[in-house]
Amino acid sequence: MNPFKNLRLWVWVAAAIVVVNGFFPSVWIFFTSLKLEGELTRIPITYWPENPTFQNYLQAFREQPLGRYFLNSVIVAVASTLLCVGVASLAAYALARLHVPRRNLILSLLVGVSMFPVASLMVPLYQTFNELGLRNNYLALILPHAALSLPVATLTLVSFFAGIPRDLEAAAMVDGSSRLGALWRIVVPLSAPGVFTAAILAFVNSWDEFLLASTLLPAKAMRTLPVGIQLYQGEYVFPWPLISAALVVALVPVALVIAVFQERVVGGLTQGGVKG
Amino acid sequence: MTRPQPRYRRSLGDLSERALAFWLLVPAGLLLGLIALYPVLRLVYTSFFQYQLTLGPEASFNGLENYATALRDARFWNALKNTSLIVLITVPGALVVGLGLALLANLPFRVKWPVRLGLLLPWALPLVFVGLIFQWFFDSQYGVVNDIIVRLGGERQFWLFRPDLAFWAICFTIIWKTSSFVALILLAGLQTIPKELYEAAEVDGASPFQRFWRVTLPLLTPAILVALIFRTITAFQTFDIPYAMTKGGPGNATETLAMYVRVTSIENLNFGYGSALAVLLFLLSMAITVVYLRYVRGADE
Repeated sequence: MNPFKNLRLWVWVAAAIVVVNGFFPSVWIFFTSLKLEGELTRIPITYWPENPTFQNYLQAFREQPLGRYFLNSVIVAVASTLLCVGVASLAAYALARLHVPRRNLILSLLVGVSMFPVASLMVPLYQTFNELGLRNNYLALILPHAALSLPVATLTLVSFFAGIPRDLEAAAMVDGSSRLGALWRIVVPLSAPGVFTAAILAFVNSWDEFLLASTLLPAKAMRTLPVGIQLYQGEYVFPWPLISAALVVALVPVALVIAVFQERVVGGLTQGGVKG
Repeated sequence: MTRPQPRYRRSLGDLSERALAFWLLVPAGLLLGLIALYPVLRLVYTSFFQYQLTLGPEASFNGLENYATALRDARFWNALKNTSLIVLITVPGALVVGLGLALLANLPFRVKWPVRLGLLLPWALPLVFVGLIFQWFFDSQYGVVNDIIVRLGGERQFWLFRPDLAFWAICFTIIWKTSSFVALILLAGLQTIPKELYEAAEVDGASPFQRFWRVTLPLLTPAILVALIFRTITAFQTFDIPYAMTKGGPGNATETLAMYVRVTSIENLNFGYGSALAVLLFLLSMAITVVYLRYVRGADE
């Protein structure tokens, strides 16, 4: 099956290419964060940090409200993920198991909504939340983030729910459970992997989102990590020691999530793609 | 109420099942109505008004004037040109690089997690952060890119200060960021191709190259199509990476449609014209989505 004679060697080369390509920018920014200003602004540049130090991290937390940005990101990402997955589970159950008129139309609409350009939604959302006095209120970002991840979460869960044998549910109902009781005790536990996948995707999407976060939560105390760190750069100066340390802090949660749940994430991402 | 529903007849009446389905769908409908459908309607409505907060709080109806302005606006055409070029360069680019990565990642590794993480990490990095990191890579003095060029005997380049170089640096960054997602989709596609087909081709004496063209590529076409369309739609909405790397500069050399929408509506508070621009961006995205729904979803139903 494989064209190459020395298979093991080629496998190593292939793995190295994929790994270096994927890890290099993150590793580089980590190395950068360990270098002091003097080392960063020297030519030729150093690849391995000469005197690794965590000084930049202390400075990053001291000079900017990085802790606050982190907290804001956590609040928005966790709340929007819970809202999204909760609402998506209900809708997905109905779409997978109950008689819903025009089901295919609804599924197509979901795909369509998931393709809406965020930049287009930004203008009216800005106006609306401004009028409601909700700009710089967490809700102004939690609701849009939940809604943006909702179509994909629903579609993911529909296929998971559809894979659970109906007999199990029927058996629970024969035993006297209501339909909602069966949903709670049979379908939910069995589809936990699907719910989890949807939750991880929603969390990462929220953690990464910039455009709406920067327009709907612009006040300094309300900024999420992408917005706060992006604004570190001044007009002419670029405080790289600060930015690199802040970036590493901001990347740790997503890196942990995908490292721990990698198979689930890959499954969730590719499922829609391969099945169409 | 006599609609035949044999599966659930015995457990639950038809009416109550439909009522239950309705109530389960209500929260999702409300959320999407509030955050997606209402804003789109309001966007279209606002686009018919002269409405700029810096000129005054009143909006006055001016029909299609904003759209006519857009057609005469050189900055709009420039943004449209930049956006289209980004689509034309980064979508095929990410597809080729992604296919390469997927083929490499599909080799039989004993330990799978490093390669899998190598594909997942670029996907999970926030776009703005990727933009910042690559801005550092392309820094004319302390960047890795120039360091490597100088070590190889080349000339230091002012990557983000020259319009053409800035544009290519941005395209390079977008391709790096998006190719791993393409690779994940193609890798899943590759893994559905039965091994027997390769074995049969080998027995028939097909060269590795022929096996790729005659077996891999045809069977991978559906996955390639999905990746292609997803990437095209998101490429039309490009914002974060050029925003983080150049803010659209130098001049407006790297300004995309989404960036121009933001400058017009949020920074200049010109909601009327900004909405018209946003509607145009919306229509572009939806046109491609309709193609997607027609040809990809429709094909397997």
